[in-house]
Amino acid sequence: MQTMVETRNLRKTYSRADGSTIEAVKGVDLEIRQGEIFSLLGPNGAGKTTTISMISGLVTPTEGDATIGGFSITTQSMEAKRLMGFVPQEIALYPELSARQNLAFFGRMYGLGGKTLSRRVDELLDFVDLADRQKDRIDTFSGGMKRRVNLAAGLLNSPPLIYMDEPTVGIDPQSRRRILDTVKTLRDEQGMTVLYTTHLMEEAEELSDRVGIMDHGEIIAMGTQDELTQQVGEEDRLEITTGAQNVGEALIERMQQEIAGVTRVLYNPPEQIGDNGSESTPARLTVFAKRGRTALPQIIQTLDAAGIDIQSVEVLEPDLEAVFLALTGRALRD
Amino acid sequence: MRSILTIILNDLNIFFAQRGNLVGLLVIPVLLTLVVGWSIGQIGGGGPTRLRVDLIDHDQTELSAKLIEELRAANDALVLCPLDNDADDFCRLGEEHLQLERAVERARSGSTSALIVIPAGYAAALEGFERINIDYYSLSDPLQPSPVLQSLNAVLQRAGSASITTGVAGALLDNVTAAIDLPPLDKETRDGFLRSIYLRSQEMLTEQPAPVRFRVADAASDGEDGSLNGFNQSGPGMGSLYVMFTVLGGMAVLLRERRQWTLQRLMALPLSRAQILAAKIGVYFTLGMIQYFIVFAVGAAAGMDFGSDPPALLAVMAAFVLCITALTFALAPWMKSEGQARGLVLLLSLSLAPLGGAWWPLEIVPEFMRTLGRLSPVAWAMNAFQDLIWYNGGFGDVLPEIGVLLAASAVLFIFGIRSFKYE
Repeated sequence: MQTMVETRNLRKTYSRADGSTIEAVKGVDLEIRQGEIFSLLGPNGAGKTTTISMISGLVTPTEGDATIGGFSITTQSMEAKRLMGFVPQEIALYPELSARQNLAFFGRMYGLGGKTLSRRVDELLDFVDLADRQKDRIDTFSGGMKRRVNLAAGLLNSPPLIYMDEPTVGIDPQSRRRILDTVKTLRDEQGMTVLYTTHLMEEAEELSDRVGIMDHGEIIAMGTQDELTQQVGEEDRLEITTGAQNVGEALIERMQQEIAGVTRVLYNPPEQIGDNGSESTPARLTVFAKRGRTALPQIIQTLDAAGIDIQSVEVLEPDLEAVFLALTGRALRD
Repeated sequence: MRSILTIILNDLNIFFAQRGNLVGLLVIPVLLTLVVGWSIGQIGGGGPTRLRVDLIDHDQTELSAKLIEELRAANDALVLCPLDNDADDFCRLGEEHLQLERAVERARSGSTSALIVIPAGYAAALEGFERINIDYYSLSDPLQPSPVLQSLNAVLQRAGSASITTGVAGALLDNVTAAIDLPPLDKETRDGFLRSIYLRSQEMLTEQPAPVRFRVADAASDGEDGSLNGFNQSGPGMGSLYVMFTVLGGMAVLLRERRQWTLQRLMALPLSRAQILAAKIGVYFTLGMIQYFIVFAVGAAAGMDFGSDPPALLAVMAAFVLCITALTFALAPWMKSEGQARGLVLLLSLSLAPLGGAWWPLEIVPEFMRTLGRLSPVAWAMNAFQDLIWYNGGFGDVLPEIGVLLAASAVLFIFGIRSFKYE
């Protein structure tokens, strides 16, 4: 399979007002193949948007380069940009214009005109199911509708590659489902290569052929979902919520040593949330165990004996969340 | 180029799609231009407060100097060029000496209100009660004498009266001498006697109130004409003020485009940064020119003059709009929020406009304010508009102002383009 996107040592450093620097992306190497959906998965602030911004020519890399279809984004940016469509996280549309006017404008910027442009706009309005609202101003649309026009604007030039930066942020489940189905259609029916960023494990799992897990500006793991989950072995993950304010190191060590199958135990203390920290999340224990269901009675017994109040227990098969947790010691939502 | 035009048209489409912008672009400037135009006309500010008059004295005698002095006294608005030229070269003479041919050309083009030529032999003719012609060149209608001609006539009337007195006295002297059979006076004694008669007559006539004494402050009595001429000030003035409001408003729009990510989306299209920047500059330049055309159209309907050199007028408009566009791009990268940008638009527009003479002619403000006004691009534009509209100047007369505005634009653009935030 041909390589569509390749990055080599892609790096971005920003200077702060106080003279210090912050390295948002620390030398990313990626290879995305033609016709695949590749997801960059990571928590907020991991460097996903900066990476995708560099690959799409919005942000100039401090170091390194990216090639799109063999064209360098730094030295052959016009050729590279002609091969790609871009769907930013923000609704990058003119709110004062109608859906049709927005699409027509961006279409003209790709050199489309006349009947070709009109036909393409019609196709895309049908594709995102907004033909009946095409003459309405964008600022009268719901969040989900805006997202769909935002997506359509990235498809105007029928690009072989499309970047989507968290395209489901802030929308209702129905609109989200529609967008996820659209992304799969683009790959399955149009053979499009999709670079998709998300902080939602479920989206990455549902859509991706391959996933790159990003944290603190680095790709910490990359591969198919099977390849990645194998990195954490065949272990199940037991998520236990508890009312305890603290779980001692000694108890964690004892669980790891004495309960058969348990390989690792992580404790996440309660977090203050809401206005002025008026509410808090329950404390969480994450237990990695081979044959988790078998180990579960002994785990509960041990915690009970230690006076730890158990509120809920969930046994999870190995997934990308577990991979991230195993690699960073933190949950994706953290 | 097609992409640049597409972006310009799209941005203009968005601008005009917002009704609030139409109020700022059309309704308020039109109302203010009319109100200020009529008001300024009524208080006599509708025309120049100083009149540029070329004067060439071929006689260079005590009597011709006296005529010039009388002329100054008759009308304090007259600036006799080159005699009364100031450090700012109000006479627009540059380094060149004022020759008759050039002075005639200046009067014909309307660059000066008039040219007065005192011929050689003027004093001798007056003293000898002989006829002599003073040449007066002006574009003004002879049936509706201008303040300059009125002043000149008043002064010449006095000189003529003194000359008549001298002539009568000479004839009387000759007749008396003959009638009482006195020996004829020698020429020197006769001339001395007649000269003393002439000077005494002059003195007596000068002590009398001048038959016509023109003062700029009396322009209120001009009635309807004065009102209409108020638009010669309010048209360019309000036009320049609202060009600033409209174009500088681009600072907030550029910030909004970054916030709503439409600027970034343009960056992801196959366009160069230069194309995007050129398009954005084109948008605000076009809006500025549209603003000027709207205000000038209102001025034209209300009787505003446009001088005799439309291309020069267009060049001044373009140079000023370009300068304000450059200022917009120089300041935009430093704005933290749209609110801050909008505040700065108000501050700059409402300080630079009056400072530069957009609300009232700079001639009526103290000298230090006039000097300070040069910091404002409005002052350079208004100076050029005055030359073109009030003095019928041409391209050559406003080249210095256009040069200053373009030089400022270049500096501001270099600064703005280097610091423009695409990301």
